[in-house]
Amino acid sequence: MTKTLTLPLLLGLASFGLTACGDKEEEGLKKACPTPAPAMKSPPTLPGKFPGAPGVVYTGIAKSGPATVVSGYLPTAIGPAHDAYAGAIKGASGYRVTKEEQDKADAEVNFAGAGNSGQVKLLQTCKARTRVTITIRPA
Amino acid sequence: MRRAVLLLALVAAAAGCGTSRPERGTLTIVVDAPFSRTPYLGSAIEDGARLAASEIDAAGLHVGDREYELRVVTMDDALSAARAVANVRSAVERHAVAIVNEGTGVDAAWRVARGTPIGIVFQGGRGLVDPVTRRNVFRIAPTDHGIAFRLAEYLVPKGYRVALLHDDSDYGDAGAGELRRAFAGNRSSVALDETLPASALDLSPQVLRARRAHATALLVWGRPATIAAVLTAARSAGWAVPVYTPPTGADPFVRQQLADHPAWIDGLTFAGGRLTSEVGAAPFETFAQKLQQAFGAEGVGVRTRTGGRVVQPPETAMYAYDFVRLVAAALTRAGSTDPRRVTAALEEVTVEGANGDERAFNRLNHEGVVDDDVYFARFRDMTYAPVRDDPLSATLPAIPQTR
Repeated sequence: MTKTLTLPLLLGLASFGLTACGDKEEEGLKKACPTPAPAMKSPPTLPGKFPGAPGVVYTGIAKSGPATVVSGYLPTAIGPAHDAYAGAIKGASGYRVTKEEQDKADAEVNFAGAGNSGQVKLLQTCKARTRVTITIRPA
Repeated sequence: MRRAVLLLALVAAAAGCGTSRPERGTLTIVVDAPFSRTPYLGSAIEDGARLAASEIDAAGLHVGDREYELRVVTMDDALSAARAVANVRSAVERHAVAIVNEGTGVDAAWRVARGTPIGIVFQGGRGLVDPVTRRNVFRIAPTDHGIAFRLAEYLVPKGYRVALLHDDSDYGDAGAGELRRAFAGNRSSVALDETLPASALDLSPQVLRARRAHATALLVWGRPATIAAVLTAARSAGWAVPVYTPPTGADPFVRQQLADHPAWIDGLTFAGGRLTSEVGAAPFETFAQKLQQAFGAEGVGVRTRTGGRVVQPPETAMYAYDFVRLVAAALTRAGSTDPRRVTAALEEVTVEGANGDERAFNRLNHEGVVDDDVYFARFRDMTYAPVRDDPLSATLPAIPQTR
């Protein structure tokens, strides 16, 4: 129980934490990236065979009630990361992008498919890394 | 002197000719809302629509080669589907270019609208919006699905045994269905699933049943009066159980009903659409100030312990405001006032919403608020602030609520 509570919370706090920082956020985009969180030993099985973007590294998966929250990163800036996830979802059988948005350091790709819906939240945290948080819930 | 006056008149006339423009046309936007049954909701929708219309008129609304101004007309649906349908029929007869609606009666009214866009700005029921079968229906408000699932995602990890209490209003019925879906995979987290009579003033028996079922949290999905009645029943029995609600928990009526027992409101937590965007609180606060300057502050009718007058953040007004601005953008894009062309254009335009976020629909999606933008806020001293134990909510600023 502790894991299901704390992991999504920590992931989410990290994911959203920088979004309110304004100029600091942009400064962060120029910084070299620290050592990333370790990758999961094997890629997780995501609900509805949710597609992964090419090059995504998964670092964790947890349940939060009915939702599955997956964390990871892409070794790219926000623009290519956004394109990669939007392309992966559009190219996956049965999935569609319902809404997408990109700002300077963050982006969201909302999706529906395979009886699920949810959001890929992307946050560039340093020069060449974008944090990925995927929330998948029954539609 | 007479020559001078004549000269002045000629100059004025010439100047008038030089700058004369074709007369502005008038386009009607109908606000169909429950003014008589839930006045707060009705006036919030009306105020948001009127503010948007006044700003659009000031900037000039160009449709094709003609300039128009928007006229907002209100109609009372009294929470009656039949009246809502009659109002939409009347709106079509008036050649309204859009209808802003709280949600009542849309299941029938969308056909009557004959392609005229309908913007739902409160009800979140599944099936109200379908881009394929109801192409003219759009929504800017959190969906019941998003509210219910986000509540389950928030409450299940806490280890609660939740009593799902929902009233028998249309709103409560719709919420009950979504709650059952949201908790379907976590039935061990549900202590009780109970329907409450929306007309009941005393819900002590139902709340007692929840207590005897060993519930450790109440999730009340119903009208504001139902939420107030549940709080009254629980607190007057000395039961300090945490209470969670959909957005109706923030309706001023709940606080007005419990004004004599402000402590009973403390801790009440509701789910709603985030009021602020990634750029911070400034755009929303600017919008709230403009609304206040135009129509006055929306007083809740209660005060904080230190005497501060509590006002309501204009969430529903924001949704109505954004929808009218999208309609204006769609009119310009379509270059036509034909309802079907405006509806089609609504799938292509984007505006900056009152909170600084993008508002847009598309061919596949007529929802203006995504599920992941649902946050949680908790009351303390008659005002609320985002909770700190939810990832999204923890990043959101509190909105000033006292004057």
